[in-house]
Amino acid sequence: MNAQALKELLYKVADDQLILGHRNSEWTGFGPLLEEDIAFSSMAQDKIGQSHALYQMLHQLGEQSPDTIAFMRSADQFHNCILVELPNGEYDFSLMRHFLFDTAEAIRFDMLSNSSYLPLSELARKIKGELRYHTLHANTWIQKLGTATDESISRLQQSLYTALPFAIGIFEESPFEKDLIQENIFAGEQELKIRWIERIEEVIQKTKLSLPTWSSVTAVTGGRSGKHSEYLQPLVDEMSEVFRIDPTTEW
Amino acid sequence: MKSLDPRVTRLPETGEAGVILTKAPLDQLGTFEVFVQPKEGKPFQHEGAIHASDLEMAFVLAKETLTRRFTCTSLYVVDTRSVFVSPYTEGNKNAYELISEIPANTGTLTAYEVYHLTKRGKQHVQAGTVDGITPAHAMAEARKKFGDKVVYNIWVVPTAEIRFTSAEEKDLWLTLPDKKFRDASDYKGGDKLKEFLERST
Repeated sequence: MNAQALKELLYKVADDQLILGHRNSEWTGFGPLLEEDIAFSSMAQDKIGQSHALYQMLHQLGEQSPDTIAFMRSADQFHNCILVELPNGEYDFSLMRHFLFDTAEAIRFDMLSNSSYLPLSELARKIKGELRYHTLHANTWIQKLGTATDESISRLQQSLYTALPFAIGIFEESPFEKDLIQENIFAGEQELKIRWIERIEEVIQKTKLSLPTWSSVTAVTGGRSGKHSEYLQPLVDEMSEVFRIDPTTEW
Repeated sequence: MKSLDPRVTRLPETGEAGVILTKAPLDQLGTFEVFVQPKEGKPFQHEGAIHASDLEMAFVLAKETLTRRFTCTSLYVVDTRSVFVSPYTEGNKNAYELISEIPANTGTLTAYEVYHLTKRGKQHVQAGTVDGITPAHAMAEARKKFGDKVVYNIWVVPTAEIRFTSAEEKDLWLTLPDKKFRDASDYKGGDKLKEFLERST
């Protein structure tokens, strides 16, 4: 098995989850209603838990310990897509990003449940229920607010337009696409993107929101190779502030 | 760069001298009752109520609000206004004694979930289902079926108005037993801080 290709895959999936998990946790205590605050915070916690499982796989493959990977890198060493590092903005943007990202994430893990790398296929099957909840939550909100009032519809529409170029950036290809596909580790970003578009269209069609023609959306890429927006480094600094006081302490 | 964390940046803005406003009115959604099955084979129990915009949203929000710590195999939600409540009793008085017989008039029978309060101050637990024409008739039917034991309160809930957990959604709680970190006592924050302070002095 091509270890370099596998590690690249694990890093990008885990980094997406860690960074978005941290970003979403910034809503804790500020959610639009108590129940939603709890739900959104729980899902943020799930994401960080999922990233931990992947960092542990990387550790098994010879990388540093999960905490070191998570807290001791600088922004340009992260492989997450830029979508997940963007500021939360208003709740409409956070919800739209949650919908666009988690739809891709659920399909990605569905594909990974057939991975030839067994720890990955086992993890994918294990967290299927968590991801089912995340997409149920996202779809329910998008359908509700996407058909509710003029304000909710126009806010979501605006957020959809803002987020889409970054969302397409989720599927930025790895230099190892061919190896991953050939070795049945992961069926590839192109297939993921095709399935994602189908699912996104399916949900948006049930709302008063509209999608631009896909070919008119230019992907914002670079995240997978460490080229990030100005927003990632401050997030990393804040996230690792406590750990870096004394990396040998157990918190 | 300024923090992007709303916990840091979203404190109320400071105001201008002399500006006094009325307090904004509460804008609250309706409530839904949440019933949880803690283990396979156990009866459902009333876990609490939550706010939501509609039944589907209630299901989504109930899942994390009320089943994020203890084991759960299934949950369902219903609009609070669909829960029909008998008079309460206490001591040796059976609440079913306060339910009068209702002759089965013409009408269509539909299913109702029956809940009992067997200890004051505890939660209502499911006893079973009955068919009834109206909620009052369902309660009278419940008396025939379950009325021989003392209970202090009875609820009947029209089954058709419930948002159940579907068979494929059963995996929603699959990883819950692994999430011990959600329990504050599992974290042992005090011990960790103490150890850190001892080391750093």
